[in-house]
Amino acid sequence: MAATSQHLELSHEERLREQHLMLDPKPRGEMNAMVMEAMHTTSWKFWVMAVLLGGIVLIGLFGAWGYLIAEGLGVAGVNRPSYWGIFLVNTVFWIGISHAGTFISAILRVFKAEFRRPFTRAAELMTTFGLVQAGFSIFMHMGRVWLAYWLFPYPNERQLWPNFHSPLSWDLLAITTYLLASTMYLFLPLIPDMAMARDRSTGWRKNAYKILALGFRGTEGEWTHLRTAMSIFAFAIIPVMFSVHTIVAWDFAAATRPGWSSTIFGPYFVVGALHSGMGAVIMVLAIVRATMKNMKYFIRPEHFDAIGKLMLIISMTWAYFFFNDYIVQWYGGDRWTKELLHWHEAGPMGWMWFLMLIVNVAIPWLVLWNKKWRSTPWVVFVVGLLINVGMYIERYIIIPISLTINRQPFTWRLYKPGIEIPLSIGTLAFFILLYMLASKFIPLVPVWEVQEGQMAHSVKKFGRETVVTVSELD
Amino acid sequence: MNILDLNEKGAKGALVEEAQGKWGMVIDQDLCTGCQACVAACAMENNIAFVGEEDAGYGRSLQWIRVERFWEGEYPEVKMTSFQPKLCQHCHNAPCEPVCPVFAAVHSPSEDLNLQVYNRCVGTRYCGNNCPYQARVFNWRDYERPTPLNNQFNPDVTVRRRGVMEKCTFCLQRIHRAEDAAKAEGREILDGEFAPACAQACPADAIVFGRLDDPDSRVSQLSRQRRGVHLLEELGTLPRVTYLKGE
Amino acid sequence: MADQISLLAVFPDLEPAANAIDTLRSLGLSDENMNVISGVPVTEAMLGRPRQWTNVPRLALGGAGGGFLVGTFLVFTPLLYFVPVGGQPTVPGPPSVVILFELTMLGLLISTFLGVFLDSTFPSYRPMEYVPEISDGKIGILYHCPADKEEKFTKAMTALGAERVELAEEQQL
Repeated sequence: MAATSQHLELSHEERLREQHLMLDPKPRGEMNAMVMEAMHTTSWKFWVMAVLLGGIVLIGLFGAWGYLIAEGLGVAGVNRPSYWGIFLVNTVFWIGISHAGTFISAILRVFKAEFRRPFTRAAELMTTFGLVQAGFSIFMHMGRVWLAYWLFPYPNERQLWPNFHSPLSWDLLAITTYLLASTMYLFLPLIPDMAMARDRSTGWRKNAYKILALGFRGTEGEWTHLRTAMSIFAFAIIPVMFSVHTIVAWDFAAATRPGWSSTIFGPYFVVGALHSGMGAVIMVLAIVRATMKNMKYFIRPEHFDAIGKLMLIISMTWAYFFFNDYIVQWYGGDRWTKELLHWHEAGPMGWMWFLMLIVNVAIPWLVLWNKKWRSTPWVVFVVGLLINVGMYIERYIIIPISLTINRQPFTWRLYKPGIEIPLSIGTLAFFILLYMLASKFIPLVPVWEVQEGQMAHSVKKFGRETVVTVSELD
Repeated sequence: MNILDLNEKGAKGALVEEAQGKWGMVIDQDLCTGCQACVAACAMENNIAFVGEEDAGYGRSLQWIRVERFWEGEYPEVKMTSFQPKLCQHCHNAPCEPVCPVFAAVHSPSEDLNLQVYNRCVGTRYCGNNCPYQARVFNWRDYERPTPLNNQFNPDVTVRRRGVMEKCTFCLQRIHRAEDAAKAEGREILDGEFAPACAQACPADAIVFGRLDDPDSRVSQLSRQRRGVHLLEELGTLPRVTYLKGE
Repeated sequence: MADQISLLAVFPDLEPAANAIDTLRSLGLSDENMNVISGVPVTEAMLGRPRQWTNVPRLALGGAGGGFLVGTFLVFTPLLYFVPVGGQPTVPGPPSVVILFELTMLGLLISTFLGVFLDSTFPSYRPMEYVPEISDGKIGILYHCPADKEEKFTKAMTALGAERVELAEEQQL
């Protein structure tokens, strides 16, 4: 009898160990080797993909952009009344994606959600590269982009300061702050891993890692300074993150357009950013786990399960904010807003509106409640992809489609994208390319944080039940 | 700072040039025939480019003033009701001004006009989105002026290149010319001494222009008529154009 | 005073390292003469060490103040170069709050980041006492002891389970 129950207990523990990365420690040297191997192993498929993406980036992004600058915005699809089109949609979309990285590495750290440990860096990389694409998109939409430096405060003979009444100036400051902050926040926890990579590399890699590791050894002083700084960053970057997308939302909410002048846009956009961002994180994690060596040890179904739960909650929150915005506009009775709502649902692009609600709300609500489905990488990958499609549509509806309806019916005209399409594909290709190249140079898994977590986790018996316990090591 | 102060100091203590008055316009919809002479005259006076058929069909024509048609009924029982020339209303609280990040859309304190400074514009087009009257247009391309049309340019007005917003200026060049002439002769501008291109061209005399701060000017008297309305008054933009329309 | 030499003892795990610290202290070394190098942050309390000082929070607050000052400069400069726009005052209230907030946060975060560099004297590429096994999870104890006592200390460390004890050479990392 005793032997059997002991046998059962053992396999329960083994099961826990198999499910939870934090309960499945390997020797640090072995984990380091796994991460380094994941970086060094590249198959021919990787290079084919990289060359393909490089080609798309050269032609679709830089080539088409050069043409846009030379010819003027006439080659794009913007017109009166839709003065803003896909370029702004892309900007908001990429800034939204970038918020997921901060959510995972900052908010989950503050709430001590241990499951975040293996993928904080993968998410933060998305933030930095996403902001690069957002920056490109903003510059693309400017009529005289070669004068973009006029938006910066600097002494000039025109005696002009940038106009801080304008939400675009707030945008500039907010996005600059966020880009710098998230890059610094990416770099700080990277230093110990750069030191580890320095110790295990040769040749040009060793030189590069040596420079980036800044001489980090792991002394008490260094760890203390680093962890204090990371703690300050984690707390401080959360209000920055919220403020950035709120300010982007104010580009629209501060305007006088029907459908735009809505006070809920601030938080609505923040939640929308988290929605699309979490979908993107899941997609990236699923791909990384499937294509990179040794990642199946670090990224397990439990992580997809945890992110899936977050996606469900955020989807519900998004639905709440969407309905809030909708019911107040519908009830108000302002004839232009009513016209706009009718245009959203019953106009030529009405199918987009319904599709958005299906993929943003219905599908997550139907799929993500089931733990088994949540833990299956390809299922949540598809859900994440659909959510990103839905959120792109949401911004498309808010920008070019809403701009079509204004208080001057004589000017109403549909928006048809022109060169925005190759440029959008170019930014997406550039994002993926940057990520792929980074994954070969930067260890995607913060091994020291994983080991820190593994040190803190253990199994303990409560009566007959074997449970996971986490100690607070701070 | 009170922007209605005529003798206000600008940057570095320079005195703002003493203004002759605050300008405004009245458009009588009961007289307007929809002939679009104002549109043509404005394009000639202000070096406005012709965008071509395709772009015009896509809503990119550079009309600083546009004549809007309204009708009742379905074809074939269609009744034309009125025409409404729409142009920049030169709002006192213009929504286009605060949103320009480089101060290209500013308010002129002396003439109480809304200005567009082409040299400062970087083309973010936020002002275009924020104008409730959709009065602003954008130079989407560098447009051709095939010879001999380039001989027709008005030397008093800049020729804009691609990437800048533009809009009706109440023919500021004509205002300044009249002010200079009056100052040279040591007198005030007479009511009706000059008119912007649209007012000058209108065969029905539906567009009247003048000083709103002079209660005896024709435009002041017309704007006080019972038929007068301000467009989209509920937005609080305080436009300088009054539309006269009977029942 | 005898010469001070630096020794580096590498331990495979936390418990032996903690014992070693206690032993070193009992053998007469003060805490300043000891330093712990590890691949994972082990808190000082786990090893019975005094808490480490750090200037980073103070630098962060200073940076936040600096950012706030830069923000006020940006916000109030238009008073010198007045350009009238749309019925809003020269220094608009709510937009100024936005600008001040963003620049304060930027100041806070940049100074935190640079504070780490300053406090840790990063980047430093000169040769330092280190062994690569530390990034593989070992815990290294770097201690300075009088040269004539080297034998005694080494024996004590090895007895507690040190994988190796050697002269800490300054090597290029």
